[in-house]
Amino acid sequence: MDFVQNFPFISIILTLFSGPLCSVLNGKQARRVNTAVIVADGILSFLVLGYVTAAGQPFVYRMGHFSAPWGNEIRVGILEAFMAGFFCVIMLLCMLGGIREREVQIEEGKQNLYYVMVNLLLCSLLALIYTNDLFTAYVFVEINTISACGLIMIRQTGRTFEAATRYMIMSLLGSGLLLLGICYLYAVTGHLLMSNIREQVRVISATGQYHISLMVALGLMSVGLAIKSALYPFHAWLPDAYGYSTLSSSAILSSLVSKGYIFLLIKIFYRVIGFDVVWESKVVNVLFVFGIAGMIMGSLSAMKESNLRRMIAYSSVAQIGYIYMGLGLATEAGSVASIYHVLSHAATKSLLFVAASGLADASGGSDRFRDITGAGLRNKLAGIAFMAGSLSMVGMPMFSGFISKLFFAQAAVGHAHKMFPTFIALAISTILNAVYFMKTVIRIYTPMQKKEGVEGEAETGRAEGRSIPIWEQPVKSAALICFIVLNLMLGLNSDPLIRLIQSGIEMFD
Amino acid sequence: MDSLLLIPVLLPVLGGILLLVSSFREHRRTEGKRIFAGGGQGLPVYVCTVLGFSAVAALGLAWTGERTVTLFTLLDAIPVYFHIDATGRLFVTVVSVIWMVTAVYSFVYMRHEGEEKRFYGFYLMVYGVLVGFDFSGNLVTMYLFYELTTLVSMPLVLHNGSREAIMAALKYLFYSMCGAYGGLFGIFFLYRYCDSLNFAPGGTLSLAAVQGHEGILLTAIFVMLIGFGTKAGMLPLHAWLPTAHPVAPSPASAVLSAVIVKSGILAVIRVVYYIVGPDFLRGTWVQRIWMILALLTIFMGSMLAFREPIFKKRLAYSTVSQVSYIMFGLWLLTVDAFSGALLHVAAHAVVKCGLFLTAGVFLYGFGATRVEELVGIGKKIPKTMWCYLIFGLALVGIPPTCGFVSKWYLAQGALQSTVGIFSWLGPVVLLVSALLTAGYLLPVALKGFFPGEASDLAGKEDALRKVPGSEEGDVFAEDSPEAERLSGMEQKSENEHVSGEAVTESEQVRVKEPAHSMLIPLMILAVLAVLLGVFPGPLIQYVSDIGKMVLQGTIAG
Repeated sequence: MDFVQNFPFISIILTLFSGPLCSVLNGKQARRVNTAVIVADGILSFLVLGYVTAAGQPFVYRMGHFSAPWGNEIRVGILEAFMAGFFCVIMLLCMLGGIREREVQIEEGKQNLYYVMVNLLLCSLLALIYTNDLFTAYVFVEINTISACGLIMIRQTGRTFEAATRYMIMSLLGSGLLLLGICYLYAVTGHLLMSNIREQVRVISATGQYHISLMVALGLMSVGLAIKSALYPFHAWLPDAYGYSTLSSSAILSSLVSKGYIFLLIKIFYRVIGFDVVWESKVVNVLFVFGIAGMIMGSLSAMKESNLRRMIAYSSVAQIGYIYMGLGLATEAGSVASIYHVLSHAATKSLLFVAASGLADASGGSDRFRDITGAGLRNKLAGIAFMAGSLSMVGMPMFSGFISKLFFAQAAVGHAHKMFPTFIALAISTILNAVYFMKTVIRIYTPMQKKEGVEGEAETGRAEGRSIPIWEQPVKSAALICFIVLNLMLGLNSDPLIRLIQSGIEMFD
Repeated sequence: MDSLLLIPVLLPVLGGILLLVSSFREHRRTEGKRIFAGGGQGLPVYVCTVLGFSAVAALGLAWTGERTVTLFTLLDAIPVYFHIDATGRLFVTVVSVIWMVTAVYSFVYMRHEGEEKRFYGFYLMVYGVLVGFDFSGNLVTMYLFYELTTLVSMPLVLHNGSREAIMAALKYLFYSMCGAYGGLFGIFFLYRYCDSLNFAPGGTLSLAAVQGHEGILLTAIFVMLIGFGTKAGMLPLHAWLPTAHPVAPSPASAVLSAVIVKSGILAVIRVVYYIVGPDFLRGTWVQRIWMILALLTIFMGSMLAFREPIFKKRLAYSTVSQVSYIMFGLWLLTVDAFSGALLHVAAHAVVKCGLFLTAGVFLYGFGATRVEELVGIGKKIPKTMWCYLIFGLALVGIPPTCGFVSKWYLAQGALQSTVGIFSWLGPVVLLVSALLTAGYLLPVALKGFFPGEASDLAGKEDALRKVPGSEEGDVFAEDSPEAERLSGMEQKSENEHVSGEAVTESEQVRVKEPAHSMLIPLMILAVLAVLLGVFPGPLIQYVSDIGKMVLQGTIAG
């Protein structure tokens, strides 16, 4: 066994133990530890990626060398390693982008707790990506939920308590359904390890036994994870949670947490139930319909928002809809498009959140639309970044959004029943995206009209804007630039990535 | 590989961005309008240099052989690359000429609009993007630049920042995005059914792949053409045009109408003649519906223009109608009609640019937005009005102007074609529309030169001066700083007065021609409109060669 094969386990355990360590450090030290851990995880993941690519096949890592029915396993293919590395990169950029907000918004003395949560969150994400055991996945889903609640709640305002409570309730409902599904599956197959369940499912579906139980289990797990990743109509917790929590929290929640669940669902489809069974079931149709509903309703809700961050949050609902629509197409091309969109959306949405906070900085900390008028002129980099993110969302070629739309459409072309619904939904959603994102871009580049004399002062509550040069917050600026570059890279260099995803999916088997 | 091709695309874009972020001094005048100052001519010189150099590069590269450059590959099968061919060459020439002429015109004009830095920044960028659009070698590159055209030309529409302008710009954006998505929808399909998305005369459709899927492919092509037709103001999605044109500054509406609208035409040409191939479409329902839509648009645009009292809006409706002439010509799928369509691209660009610039003179000098206000204007700006008359005649299609030649070919193409009822219905609609065009353009010139007894010109002018609420009322207020910049006009009129050329009978009517830099572009365009009509030979030869190449597959020597 090569030493590299230990890396996935090391990265999980490293993050897991750095969490408690952060609780005894002060804020600044905890931040350093956290950054170091994320960087180390990223490096480890990319090393693993290199190893798996070179080997050309996935490897299984048995914990403590206990073999199958009793032991716990980690299984790493190309896609898992890449996802882990990519998540670390996004996580790092989100953390860097939100440094100043955290210092301001989180109480003194609780700073280090934030890093505890972030470390646990990263740990659970990595575990969700790597694990080959369904029950372990469930355990880390719960850890993920708890730490995500902490991330929302740590900025202590009334809104965030409410949001966290809502998130908690919805999330626990989701985990409950997931657990129920796992129980059914265990009862039917007698296994918890993904590979073993897969074998049993093959046998069962060949004989036609337990068909209903299997479908119930699949349905429960799909709905559970759909709730947790905010598929419309289970998205009610999302706008508040993303809109009011501190910047890094919303960026991480929107770009990583929901994606972790989606990745788990994809793994369940491919590695647990088996895509042949899933594609034949009606569950994918349900996901397809709700995905399409999400694409349109999310955009409609986003149009109505008067608050920039909540608008971006609602746009997440629409983007999650895209991903589920791709899964719902029930073809390999659809899954590839969905996974690509997971990456694309993770990069774009966190960019938008960080850019939005930059715009808010230039508008006296307010992110209401009337206050951010002209903010793109006051904070130039944030303006450019927001525009880049918007163009990606709208689907301009050269940005990642275009490529994912192209792949969704390609996956849908020739599909017997789902082609036209997909195209129509893509059309409506693209146009709605264009309307609300371009409207915002125009607004941030419209100079603020100077109200004269008394009237201007009488209008109370209007935040005072100031211009922010690029070098005032060097870390955030660097994060923004990295995000833009990442987006362009995804958009311009998508071919190798697509091949990687395809070979990763092949390795699921 | 010929990396030089990047120069005319990137140079204006970078130049525009540089201008936007630069700190060219703008200072605030008392009435709150930002006016480029500094005594120097920094901004015009800069814009002229960048634009001139790019235009020379664009034309020089375009007319010296076929060139190809691959920028990068989006996907393995989809490179983003430029390739110059005969059609692109024609379009890039039209774009460059119009762009240069309008730039010269707008240096004086834009002073009263203010925010010139922003205007020229985007003006330069749109030029670069349009050149990229014309040079595009495949469908995805074209789509990329099509979207970019919308995005960078939008700030030209919302220039004055009023609520009305922003709503118009959003409407423009919304329509264009809808259209662009229609185009993208088609691209998704064609990606599957074509050998490649690279433009090739006669099309790249893979007949084997299409076998059995004709119905769905035709639907996709139809949606795609509706989408690209949006930019060209085709019937179902034309409504942005009459909204966006009147609120944009006149030079912006001029280029919008003369050139940017044509990008929809080029997109349709590319799809029909270079990707799908005319043979696949001949005789299908798509062709029939398109002809009906085009003829309806021609008629409806003319009618709406006829009864529209706001001058710029009238011109916008006229664009709707005229551009559909081109569409009609393209859809006849014969060599003559195709030639007529391309000739009309050039003719309409020159003429409509000229008309909008004339409208700018009315607006700038007299604050006249409505047609009634133009009565007697010919006495005050005779040279401008003569130019207007030439443009009007050209648009109606009276020899020896350029409109005659293009319409002649369109009608001939229609009569020769085998499209049933359309081969005679087309020319009839063209004739009716020409009559309507005469009806909405020529009376302005007529009333302008011969106002009749009732009109009291001196009184009208005074009234205009004193109307405080009128949009451009301050232009004539002697004590406002605006008056200073008009001094050029005033002096000129005095000179003419002394020399006794222009004003002989009505001493009280002062001749107030606009500044030279506004008048000369108009004259150039007028001369072009006549020249294209008198010596159309080389151009006809050129476009019919393209027509033969794309329709018959033969390259004439």
